[in-house]
Amino acid sequence: MAIEVAKGTQQDLEENHSGIGVFLLHCLKNRFVLYTLSIIGFLLIWYAIAVLRILGNFMPRPLEVVNQLGIMMVDPLAGRTLPLHLWASLQRVFIGFLLSVLIGVPLGLLMALSRPINSIVKPVFDLFKPMPPISWISLAILWFGIGETSKVFIIIIGAIVPCVINSFNGIRLVDPELYDVIRMLGGNRRQEIWEVTFPAAFPAIFAGIQISLSVAWTCVLAAELVGAREGMGFIIILGMNLSRPAMIIGGMVVIALTAWVLSLSVGQLEKWVCPWKREIH
Amino acid sequence: MTKRKIVCEGISKIFMQKGTQRVHVLDTIGLAVDENELVVILGPGQSGKTTLLRIIAGLETPSTGRVLLDGKEVTGPGPDRGLVFQRYTLFPWETVMGNVVLGPKLRNMPKKARRELAAYYINLVGLEGFENAYPHQLSGGMKQRVGIARAYANNPQVMLLDEPFGQLDAQTRYYMEKETIRIWETEKRTVLFVTNNIDEAIYLGDRIITLEGKLPGRVKSTYTVNLPRPREHTDAAFLELRQKITEETQLLL
Amino acid sequence: MAEVLRKNVSPFLKILPYLSIASFFVGWQLLVDLDIVPNVLLATPTQVLRLFIDKLTNENPDGAVLLVHVWTSLQEALLGYILALAVGIPLGLLMGWFVVAEGLARPLFEMIRPIPPVAWIPLAIFWFGIGLSGKVFIIWASGIVPCVINSFVGVRMTNPTLIQMARTYGASDWQIFRQICIPSALPMVFGALQIALAASWTTLVAAELIAADTGLGFLITMGRRLLMPDMIVLGMLLVGLTGFAIGILIDRVERRLLAGIRR
Repeated sequence: MAIEVAKGTQQDLEENHSGIGVFLLHCLKNRFVLYTLSIIGFLLIWYAIAVLRILGNFMPRPLEVVNQLGIMMVDPLAGRTLPLHLWASLQRVFIGFLLSVLIGVPLGLLMALSRPINSIVKPVFDLFKPMPPISWISLAILWFGIGETSKVFIIIIGAIVPCVINSFNGIRLVDPELYDVIRMLGGNRRQEIWEVTFPAAFPAIFAGIQISLSVAWTCVLAAELVGAREGMGFIIILGMNLSRPAMIIGGMVVIALTAWVLSLSVGQLEKWVCPWKREIH
Repeated sequence: MTKRKIVCEGISKIFMQKGTQRVHVLDTIGLAVDENELVVILGPGQSGKTTLLRIIAGLETPSTGRVLLDGKEVTGPGPDRGLVFQRYTLFPWETVMGNVVLGPKLRNMPKKARRELAAYYINLVGLEGFENAYPHQLSGGMKQRVGIARAYANNPQVMLLDEPFGQLDAQTRYYMEKETIRIWETEKRTVLFVTNNIDEAIYLGDRIITLEGKLPGRVKSTYTVNLPRPREHTDAAFLELRQKITEETQLLL
Repeated sequence: MAEVLRKNVSPFLKILPYLSIASFFVGWQLLVDLDIVPNVLLATPTQVLRLFIDKLTNENPDGAVLLVHVWTSLQEALLGYILALAVGIPLGLLMGWFVVAEGLARPLFEMIRPIPPVAWIPLAIFWFGIGLSGKVFIIWASGIVPCVINSFVGVRMTNPTLIQMARTYGASDWQIFRQICIPSALPMVFGALQIALAASWTTLVAAELIAADTGLGFLITMGRRLLMPDMIVLGMLLVGLTGFAIGILIDRVERRLLAGIRR
């Protein structure tokens, strides 16, 4: 990166001396050495806190967490093993996410293309926007109970927003000159929408879908924390209720990894679907 | 008697900004372009020349006056006029082939025929081999050549170019000017070329129409360039004409 | 398309938004009044309003007056939020410029980053209990991530020419950091303010839904336990309103502080 080149000139000036001391110092300034030191240091401190009981019984040892994860993979908790709990959460995410995209994207497109529809829908949408999806949970449980429906409902409430907003903006922000191009080439209104509006808005719509997926993951967790009988949220709440921090942390690790894998996969998908999108560093 | 291809009669244009502000961009412009003539409209920035071109293209409607193409009034944009944009305005999601093929595709030409047609024009502008490249992989000069091919592929009667080389560096610009003449001589069309660069105007034009340097834009004078092609920027006659235009329009070098 | 911008908006289109909102509330009211949705499941707008007025002074049935709930939530959220800013922004800025800072902090940060903020709730409650400190910790953990990221990127995007220019004047690393990198990163840093606020507020509500004895999230949960849908809706609306209000407040502060610096 350019900023590193600018920084580098300073270091070049310093390197006229020789000697082990300077060499060591230079090593310590190497990024990867520091990363390794940091990770090792972190694990050591964690281990120390756990063994020396600095936080009482509240901190499990690193290996305990790994061990717990292994156990959960095989031993069922409340009727399911860890992979099945993960699958329960993911199922809800996928259903809610899919529905959000199928409703949200066309809605956003309609709002952008039709002034009357925009005037009707946008005010109500803006009214609901500041309410966090999780605040709907009580109503959802009241209406649908603790089953799948209430979770999917919360997910849709949360995940639909980025779909609508990004589709709407994606169309609004299409370069108007692209329309000039197609009109000069003799295109009619239908061709304008099909050949220009959709492809030009697509990257923004796809970005909205990406955000939507990660929102969906957060929503399902939140919903499961409040009331569930299975799922990753259920596992960490169970860990809390049973006072088993290894279970909580283990669950959090799986949750974080899943979030990471989800966003990675969609990122890869984008490269395949939009090969023309340049990387912005 | 050479046919008059484009005629502008009493064109003026007033834009309404923010509801109440009137911006008078063009005032009573009249000009005529003969068939297969290359006419350059020369003017500094903010002289209304892009607006004039857009009116001829049909993307804007004049406040007064009208534009006649082959004697028929222009009422909107259409494939009989090809427009090459200053900012290239290629479709980033299409390859070079995809961009050039667009016009024929809109008119439902069968796939094989339109790809052959596009390939011909891609070769004409010198981009053979790049059919499957995306715009972001191309240099500025190459992008503009795609723009030219795209306009040509639609078989327009008239080519309109709006400061097409404004975003290119000097070297590329000279090269593109040469290419423009080469392409035009291979596929003759009536051309209206807008620029702010005197050298470019003299190099390219059969005739140069200069606009006043301030709004509202008015026709200042017309110059006929009788130099044989290919022209040399350093030729005595070239420089003489350049001097003349510069003095008379007080345009900055 | 440019032509479209200049057409006058028809008067019908202008009143459509108001019509829409009005019909929304009317429809809501009718939905319950006409028993299409039973009142047990959904309260009418008028019922919510009545409860609102009642709870301004009435502690029952959930144990506190409205203002106490709002204040508790605000306290917890703002405290965690400000702490997140106070730690996250300097950390991110330092990480952007000093290799040592980045090298040491990054692995830990990258481990924390993918964790959705709500996932911290059980751990925080386990460590700190239901009170203020637990909530503040959760908010802090959720708000710190966007602060670090934006500050880091803000410094990274400093114009290298400015840095090289400073070098020719003999400026030290620290001086360049203070005089060039930090001001240059400010727009990005301010971008983080709104993101972190939204994250903080949402996570707080989630935390209060799960374990609290006062606060707006608690109000929403109580509404369900007492089978009072008007309380639930009241809680939801207040959450939305308060979040919206702080958002506007932060925006004003942002504008004041950035006045003069072009975005």
